Amino acid sequence: MLDFKLAPSQPEARPSEEEIYDLIILGGGPAGLTAAIYAGRARIHTLVITGPLPGGQPANTDVVENFPGFPEGIEGPELARRFVAQAERFGVRMIHDSVTGVDLSVRPFVVRTDMATYRAHTLIIAMGAVPRRLGVPGEDRFFGRGVSACATCDGFFYRDKRVVVVGGGDSAIIEGLYLTRFAREVVVVHRRDQLRATQIHQERAFANPKMRFVWDSAVEEILGEKTVTGVRVRNLKTGETSVIEAEGVFIYIGMEPQTELFAGQLELDERGYIVTDRRQRTSVPGVYAAGDIQDPLYRQLVVAAGTGAVAAMEVEKYLEMYPQNHQG
Amino acid sequence: MPLLNDEIRQEVSKMLAGLPGPVRLVMFTQKFECEFCTETRQLVEEVAELSDRITAEIYDFQADRAKAEELGIDKIPAIAVIGAQDYGVRFYGLPSGYEFASFLQAIQSVAAGKPELSDATLRVLAGIQKPVHIQVFVTPTCPYCPQAVMLAHQMAIASPMVRADMVEAMEFPHLAIKYQVMGVPRTVINETVHIEGAVPESMVVAKLQEALRA
Repeated sequence: MLDFKLAPSQPEARPSEEEIYDLIILGGGPAGLTAAIYAGRARIHTLVITGPLPGGQPANTDVVENFPGFPEGIEGPELARRFVAQAERFGVRMIHDSVTGVDLSVRPFVVRTDMATYRAHTLIIAMGAVPRRLGVPGEDRFFGRGVSACATCDGFFYRDKRVVVVGGGDSAIIEGLYLTRFAREVVVVHRRDQLRATQIHQERAFANPKMRFVWDSAVEEILGEKTVTGVRVRNLKTGETSVIEAEGVFIYIGMEPQTELFAGQLELDERGYIVTDRRQRTSVPGVYAAGDIQDPLYRQLVVAAGTGAVAAMEVEKYLEMYPQNHQG
Repeated sequence: MPLLNDEIRQEVSKMLAGLPGPVRLVMFTQKFECEFCTETRQLVEEVAELSDRITAEIYDFQADRAKAEELGIDKIPAIAVIGAQDYGVRFYGLPSGYEFASFLQAIQSVAAGKPELSDATLRVLAGIQKPVHIQVFVTPTCPYCPQAVMLAHQMAIASPMVRADMVEAMEFPHLAIKYQVMGVPRTVINETVHIEGAVPESMVVAKLQEALRA
């Protein structure tokens, strides 16, 4: 089946590095773009630095069925495109670039990207979460060459091959089922003796003759010389190790916040999430956080959008309190 | 049956309404033995209908060999996206799924003829003395791939020494094998340097310089 997806429009020109923005939003997912919509409507002089995937996680989601207002569901990329279009409608500047560093010890705050440096009186950090890595030997070496975190991207390359899927949640099972379209066998390696995935996905997985399960086991190494040849797994109950031969490894062991940039500058919790209060304030006045980067509990699109709105409303109040900073 | 539904056609018409210059979509097909040639041709014609600044030109890969060679087309289906000049922007395979965005962006970018790259990147590109060939391998189901394709195409627009191809890996499996594509996007520069994933602009520039030294 052929489909043709539209993407968020590309910026027409690079934003000025000379200007001092009232607000820079770090991240162009549901939280950041909702904040952008609110900021745009409040006429706050705002720049959004979208990160690698404008629209955020919905842009990488087949269908979103739990966002209110779409009773039939909506394709993730289409929802992402609409978020961006809505923010742009209210005059918010955007740049498709990735944040590489921040300096929160100076005023205005400094935000560095791959190609530029920007400054602003306030920040909303909404950079979301990224797929967690295993952190085992072989993983980095083979990433993109046999190790993947995107079954829809790379499934095609494993036609008639055996692949390992690591994880036992919804993503692992949904993507594992997707891989059965191509692969000869999909071996799910999971740390526990039962799946965490939603019941309906479990039923589908157990009914699929191409799916095999290795319980109570953790991947210790990804094996191979030039290409992936398998994984070594350890049974966590017996301590025994064994090798599963496979040509591809897909890792779906959850998401984690990307907060290394902020370590030592913002209070983080023990799992690396940015600590915020009910008003989305961080430990630095003028710096707010929204969405999955500060949410260890729910990580839902609608919650992310909600916290983005709160953060933008708080920014508006903050700028009113310090009008000397406000460029108008 | 049109490939693009009414909603998409409307959105694309809006996006293409203000095209700053003319665009030629020069498409190569052939009568037999090309899996997605029919669809690619249809897509080119449907998109061309949505703007009076876009023209579709259809050539036969065999019968119009000289034209193919002139544009450096070596496989089909192929689309050369040409603005006021030929910047070397190419699509091999049907730009469907997420790659439709790369295709629309290429049209807008060649129409403008002005690359959206940082000054540092433009300085490096201005100094290139040798030809650079960037091939970005993609699948239509890869949300990260358009970023890599668009960046490569911007570089082609910026420098007469650079040409950049989107290559749809599923339609050219022999190339996927030749270039050891096991994940996408995978960018190959001058046959020698590889990049895995959609990486920042500065890293592509560094890899391009590495390829030039090789």
